[in-house]
Amino acid sequence: MRARWYGGDTGLTVRMFVTMFLLFAIYLAFLAVLFWAGAGYITVAVVGAALLLVQYFYSDRLVLWSLGARIVSPTDEPELHGMLDRLAALADLPKPRLAVVDSEIPNALATGRSQRSSVVAVTRGLAERLDPPELEAVLAHELTHVKNRDVTVITIASFLSTVAFFVMRNFAFMGLYGGRRGRDQGGAGAFAIVYLASLLVWLISFFLIRALSRYREYAADRGSAIITGAPSQLASALLKISGTMQRIPQRDLREVEGMNAFFIFPAVGAGSVMELFSTHPSLEHRLARLERMQREMEGRLEDPGHSSGADASGPFAA
Amino acid sequence: MRILDILLGRTRPVPSRLDSLFAISTAYLTLTADLGLMPGGRAAVCFRPIDSARFEALGVDLQGILKISGEETGVAIRTTTDSYGFQWVTVESSDFQELVSTIHLVSLNLEDRGFGDRLLAAVFSFLDGKRPIYWVYNYKRGSFYPFVPGGAPGQRDNARELRLAAAIGQELPVEKDMERWYPLWEVPV
Repeated sequence: MRARWYGGDTGLTVRMFVTMFLLFAIYLAFLAVLFWAGAGYITVAVVGAALLLVQYFYSDRLVLWSLGARIVSPTDEPELHGMLDRLAALADLPKPRLAVVDSEIPNALATGRSQRSSVVAVTRGLAERLDPPELEAVLAHELTHVKNRDVTVITIASFLSTVAFFVMRNFAFMGLYGGRRGRDQGGAGAFAIVYLASLLVWLISFFLIRALSRYREYAADRGSAIITGAPSQLASALLKISGTMQRIPQRDLREVEGMNAFFIFPAVGAGSVMELFSTHPSLEHRLARLERMQREMEGRLEDPGHSSGADASGPFAA
Repeated sequence: MRILDILLGRTRPVPSRLDSLFAISTAYLTLTADLGLMPGGRAAVCFRPIDSARFEALGVDLQGILKISGEETGVAIRTTTDSYGFQWVTVESSDFQELVSTIHLVSLNLEDRGFGDRLLAAVFSFLDGKRPIYWVYNYKRGSFYPFVPGGAPGQRDNARELRLAAAIGQELPVEKDMERWYPLWEVPV
């Protein structure tokens, strides 16, 4: 294989794999408990799946609608479209639709269940505050979410977690029609076990999904750097966005807080949440990784072995 | 390993394909004789530089070499950076075949240095009467598509593009997915 100008991140890959593996394992265990307890819970799981499917197919429209995002044409926003055109071409993606949110809060998000139906949205505040190369880095971050199908991955990952939460919440109600299977004396016991299992599954999967979401963010940061070839531009964009975030009054932030998982930067006050509970890694960690990428890039470019022996026989051998 | 890449969120830059670039050489006759286009005498390679001093040094190096090969063949070459931060190597020659081979040479050179994934597009200019028309080569897909800018910024003449694509038929590998007919503004040719 030809030498590359960018490095890999094996640690991130391994962590993402382990997280997904754990999620899968805990979901399997949960299904086993549900199955053991009786058919009633399986019905619940199916209903949950149906609900989630609806959410999956409509969430993009819902998100855009709740933000008041407006799809813009190339004549409306020639510069943003021009940028997106080139980035999509570099990433070899069909061009996503572009939407603008009339908000002063600088932020961006990508949504859509498939690469073809995806929408990349930026706020007015973002387009105004960032320099073109920084804006481009943010767009490339969102395009990587599209390329990695993050909406699908996170939706599927949260599927059984949602079911577990549902079982827990409607626990008493479900006892009326579900969970009767042979063991007469174990009726109450099975009940308690299902409740406990749901609680556990929901709790553990909550943290796993949050972790997964953070790893997807790191991955999108990496992707942005690889598409644009400029990790430092994304770093400076993140700095600008977070700086503005802190200066903007809290009331505005809370209005958009529900949409956090979709944003490039979560709309919460700095330092107000532990990273473990957060959908996004801390700014410090993201900056550190981007800086490491930049350093590694320079190192690889410096290494004479990189430009490969092919040069000597190449058409431009000097 | 596409599915694994998606699951694990790994980004791999899409490598470039140079194999179909020469198709425009053979299609040239049809383009000019049958479609009535006038050769524009210019072509360009567009690539995304890496934000690093080392890469810039490479660019300088490339420019020097290009100048030398230009002097040998009588091809005028110049490099520019557009407002999107992309670099263009523009080649000027009345001999179309020479344009194509120089474009190929520039692409090959970037690829040989491990920067093949940085290539965005090659553009060949034609004139439809007085109006510029571009045939764009997409390195990621190994296919061509027409691009006809309209009057206002951000506008393009889709109808004319469709007619051009239909008229050229099998002669060129035309990009089938029209969502990938990415416009290229600020083409310096």
